Amino acid sequence: MSEPHNSSQPGKSITVNGVSKIYQSRGGGEVEACRRIDLEIEAGEFVAIVGPSGCGKSTLLYMMAGFSAPTSGRILCGGVPVSGPDIERSMVFQNYALFPWLNVRGNVEFGLENKGVPRDVRTEKVDRHLKLVGLSEFADKHISELSGGMKQRVAIARAFAVEPGVILMDEPFGALDALTRRFLQRELLRIWREQACTVAFVTHSVPESIFLADRIVVMSARPGELKSMIDVDLPHPRDSTSDGFRDLERRIYADLDEELAKTFSAEGLLG
Amino acid sequence: MREGRGLFGHLLPYLYAAAFIVVVWQLVVTLTKPHVSLLPPPYLVAQGFYELVASGKLFVHAGVSLGRVFSAWFLSMLIAVPLGLAMGRSRLIERLADPLIELLRPISPLAWIPLAILWFGIGESGKIFIVFIGTFFPTLLATVAGVKGIEPHLIHAGQVFGCKSQFSLFRRIVLPAALPSIITGLRISFGTGWAAIIAAELVAARSGLGYLIANGMEILRADQVLVGMIAIGILGVAFDAGLRYVGRRLTWEGAA
Repeated sequence: MSEPHNSSQPGKSITVNGVSKIYQSRGGGEVEACRRIDLEIEAGEFVAIVGPSGCGKSTLLYMMAGFSAPTSGRILCGGVPVSGPDIERSMVFQNYALFPWLNVRGNVEFGLENKGVPRDVRTEKVDRHLKLVGLSEFADKHISELSGGMKQRVAIARAFAVEPGVILMDEPFGALDALTRRFLQRELLRIWREQACTVAFVTHSVPESIFLADRIVVMSARPGELKSMIDVDLPHPRDSTSDGFRDLERRIYADLDEELAKTFSAEGLLG
Repeated sequence: MREGRGLFGHLLPYLYAAAFIVVVWQLVVTLTKPHVSLLPPPYLVAQGFYELVASGKLFVHAGVSLGRVFSAWFLSMLIAVPLGLAMGRSRLIERLADPLIELLRPISPLAWIPLAILWFGIGESGKIFIVFIGTFFPTLLATVAGVKGIEPHLIHAGQVFGCKSQFSLFRRIVLPAALPSIITGLRISFGTGWAAIIAAELVAARSGLGYLIANGMEILRADQVLVGMIAIGILGVAFDAGLRYVGRRLTWEGAA
């Protein structure tokens, strides 16, 4: 039903090269959010980043987006240093970050307008992406009229519509109920396969990362370092009750438990 | 929901309030029997109201007052909104402007009336100046608050989706996101401007509703004073409601 679309834009690679991030906390102290992170995300790859909360995974993603610069090290996108936010790296935010003064169509169209896409092409692209997320009938709805799941579908359509090289996703399904989440994970995979862009997906859900990603990056407790890198070789659609899935889950949880123990002992909760 | 009540439904609370005031007023007149030049009964004031409407004088005075408020209000908007947008986005500009504003803000527009008379005489510019002072700060503060209240993620989303320059970020994100707050500020400042113009006209004017009241006092016509006050009240409520309506139409918050 959905026409196979362009293989002309196979996504862009992301290179994270010895990146550390230290920022000033409100109290005046320094917080080391990320420490010497090296990560190579290949063009068209779907990489999930998991880690305990506060491990700097979102900080890393925001640096990839270009919102803040690494304290040391560098980040490249398609071989070019990232110097600021750019439409070639679009983003899906945890709290949707849709523009409430625009309707559904206006939100999806926003980036295309800024790219200078002519109106008729724009309309065609918006229609196609709204269809892709199953919201064709809601094009003229106001954002405030949508449920959380629908909002995130609009945000996904907005991110894909600009046909970026990379999509950065910051716990996009974190605020949704389990069933909506499950549904959107499948939708996301379907759309991603069609557009073949690179995805970096931050989550704190281990099953979600296994269900979606080609590769999972596990980060340590703060300061966030690369703890381990796990390839997911299971065929899609992945069955969360299969042995392979379970084995991966066990491995990742084992890694994370170590880190959680560190976090909690640092907070004085454990002996 | 909003559409369901109809015009009458909207007017009902005001009619109730008006009826209440008239009843209390008549009661006070009946019980204390004040001299008619101090507190005339409601029906005499209604008569005076009718006469001033019929002669067209009330419309002239109301029109003059409204004209002054609108021009000054518009002028202050032209300065306060851009300044507020800049202050909300730039810490440097805020640090420069904020102390000045905090210092001037507590000085009531009424306190400026003597200076306005000294500087501008009793011509139009003095009144515009007073209303400008009265409308500037509410608009400015609401704009600053509106900009500062913008969810950071919306700014991020704007940048990610191609707002490369500060200008396009302002036009496509900051302004629409802060608009509900700005419109509220404009509505509130219209109210303060409306209060300020009456005060300015009381002191130094040859026209306007404030002058009508002051004149009524001088010629011992309490009914004229009361007619002026009633007109001020009705116009104030009407314009507030009108601006509220326009605000709902213009901004996305009302769509919820």
